[in-house]
Amino acid sequence: MTAIDAGRAHPNRRLSLGMAVMQYKSTVLAAVALAALIAYGAATIDGFWSLVNLRSNLVFASFLGMATIGQTLCALIGGLDISIPFVVGAANVGLVKLMNEGVPSVPGILVVLALAAAIGALSGFVSHRLRGQSLVVTLGVGNAVLGIVQILVSGSGNAGISGGTIEGQIPDWIQNFAVADKAIGVAPAVLLWAALAALIIFMLRQSWVGRSIYALGGNQSAAERVLLPNERLWILVFSLSAVMAAMTGVLLLGYTGSGYAGVGDPYLFTTIAAVLIGGTSLVGGRGGYGQSVLGVLILTVLQTILAGNDLSSAAQEAILGALIIPTIALYARSPHPRMQI
Amino acid sequence: MPSTEAVALRGINRQRSLATPAILFVVLLVIAAIRGPHLFTSDGLAGALIGASPLVLATLALTPIAIAGPAGVDLSIGPIMTLINITIVLGLTKIDLTGPVAVFACAIGLGVLLQAAMGTLIATLRISTVVVTLAVYLVVDGSNTVILPHSGGTAPAWLSNFGSASTIFSPILYVPLAAFVLWWLVSRTTFFRNIRLMGANDRTAFVSGISLIPTRIGAHVIAGVFVGIASVMYTGLIGSADPTAGAPYTLNAVTALVIGGASLGGGRAKGIGSVLGAIDIWLISYVLSTFNFGLNASYWTQFATGAVLVAALVAGAILASLSTTRPDDGKWLARWGK
Repeated sequence: MTAIDAGRAHPNRRLSLGMAVMQYKSTVLAAVALAALIAYGAATIDGFWSLVNLRSNLVFASFLGMATIGQTLCALIGGLDISIPFVVGAANVGLVKLMNEGVPSVPGILVVLALAAAIGALSGFVSHRLRGQSLVVTLGVGNAVLGIVQILVSGSGNAGISGGTIEGQIPDWIQNFAVADKAIGVAPAVLLWAALAALIIFMLRQSWVGRSIYALGGNQSAAERVLLPNERLWILVFSLSAVMAAMTGVLLLGYTGSGYAGVGDPYLFTTIAAVLIGGTSLVGGRGGYGQSVLGVLILTVLQTILAGNDLSSAAQEAILGALIIPTIALYARSPHPRMQI
Repeated sequence: MPSTEAVALRGINRQRSLATPAILFVVLLVIAAIRGPHLFTSDGLAGALIGASPLVLATLALTPIAIAGPAGVDLSIGPIMTLINITIVLGLTKIDLTGPVAVFACAIGLGVLLQAAMGTLIATLRISTVVVTLAVYLVVDGSNTVILPHSGGTAPAWLSNFGSASTIFSPILYVPLAAFVLWWLVSRTTFFRNIRLMGANDRTAFVSGISLIPTRIGAHVIAGVFVGIASVMYTGLIGSADPTAGAPYTLNAVTALVIGGASLGGGRAKGIGSVLGAIDIWLISYVLSTFNFGLNASYWTQFATGAVLVAALVAGAILASLSTTRPDDGKWLARWGK
């Protein structure tokens, strides 16, 4: 972010470079951290720049990035979506079941996405009515949804679920989504993520809905006073989150080749971590999806570096956790109560 | 001076509701009596006690943190219980300290130490409880698997006997009872009242002269004691060390806490509600186990737990709006997530 950009955002106040850095402290920090990690990775890991590695990194990043869209929007209005991993898993096994029952893939995916939108709408509606207790609402909704989907899926005979896994014929076009395409160089999933990211960033920065989301997250009472439709925004944000989670579930199905109810489990904490490390505050109103993309890339590069150093996924998890507190302490501290009186 | 606090506390008392967990408890108990009367035999009660007590104590541990609010959700409890479980089974056995005194002292000491560290970070850095405990969840959960890749080891014999007890008149009753007495004593202190006031409104607490940092750390220290006791009961239940089996306690305890009527806005949570909420969760899985769901049993438990959580939240909100005027929306929302 340069001074010129910052100046454009505040037309009445031209910011010096120093002030711009302060204003976008979290973004600058995240960008510097990403650059440092890439430099370190390139210097110490053999094959870091190899096309195979870059491509597979981007595919991983696109899965996490898509699941993080919803978490970012929820964080911007001051909520959290704990149901993401459950919806990812439910969409994943649900779609296999639909296709096993003879539903063609495209209508099947549309049905899954529509159901996810309805579930998200319910989460958003209840969370708003309960004055923002989205963490526990989505925890309940997520468990209920994954529970019922697994019950329904297990219904009939040997085509059902066992041990959380369900086998089925996954159409080639879904499987090819996660595979690098010869003509375009990267996997279609990456292109889809890039397009969605651009759309979401544009939506947040330029559209009425996006600006309303920031207004709502900044101060809910003020947003209500200026007659923003708070409830509809909560419903919209949580529906979008569930749809993106379901989409991640569908893409993961193409990647792994069979349905697994626990496939979303890693996305519970990594989506929150990506949001936090990118610099979007959980209090609401500050941050954006651009920052979360940085967070997603940081997590992905970090994972490559740690895996390149032969660290187990458990050790990677521990190191990721250890990074969160210092990052947040740098820019996302609450003011002292004495400043709030 | 007393008037500010008294008014604030009276307001909290009015809004607190035990109706949802208590009604749920009675309903589940009736269904259990019809579907699985084995529960009410000496053997059945012993099984219930050891099965439910880790979750009951874990939920009790989350309670002071929820009271200290805002958004005081401790996500780290599952991995921390696992870490203490591993320490008891592998660490203490290695240095041949396996007596009850050593085990309890080590478990409670470790629980208090970890919670105090988290409390200090939350209070002094002023970053949200969810963020700090999420980070600690990842660190401890990852470390657990690094320390102990596969489950193994055996708990000290006296502790393993907890899991096979066939009468309730044994330590599996006395330990939770002692914990409840401890809770009852602690929750009556002035210090605990300060935690409540801070959770209800930290600005009011600050201008009333309460030092916020020690009060918040204190809430975590109290939590640490109960985390320690919960870990000992959990070790007795599984009888060995397991690097991953404890992690689900996080989400289960948060569910129990909320069913028990705690408001994550802070200031509002009751020990008795948390205990009832945790017993409700256990009863749900017990009642469902009396149906012939076969392989689907765990799915039904997951569905029922989630549905009951949402229903309890909605019911609690409706009950609260019937009995009191609606609290100021804006204030509550502005505090969420800090």
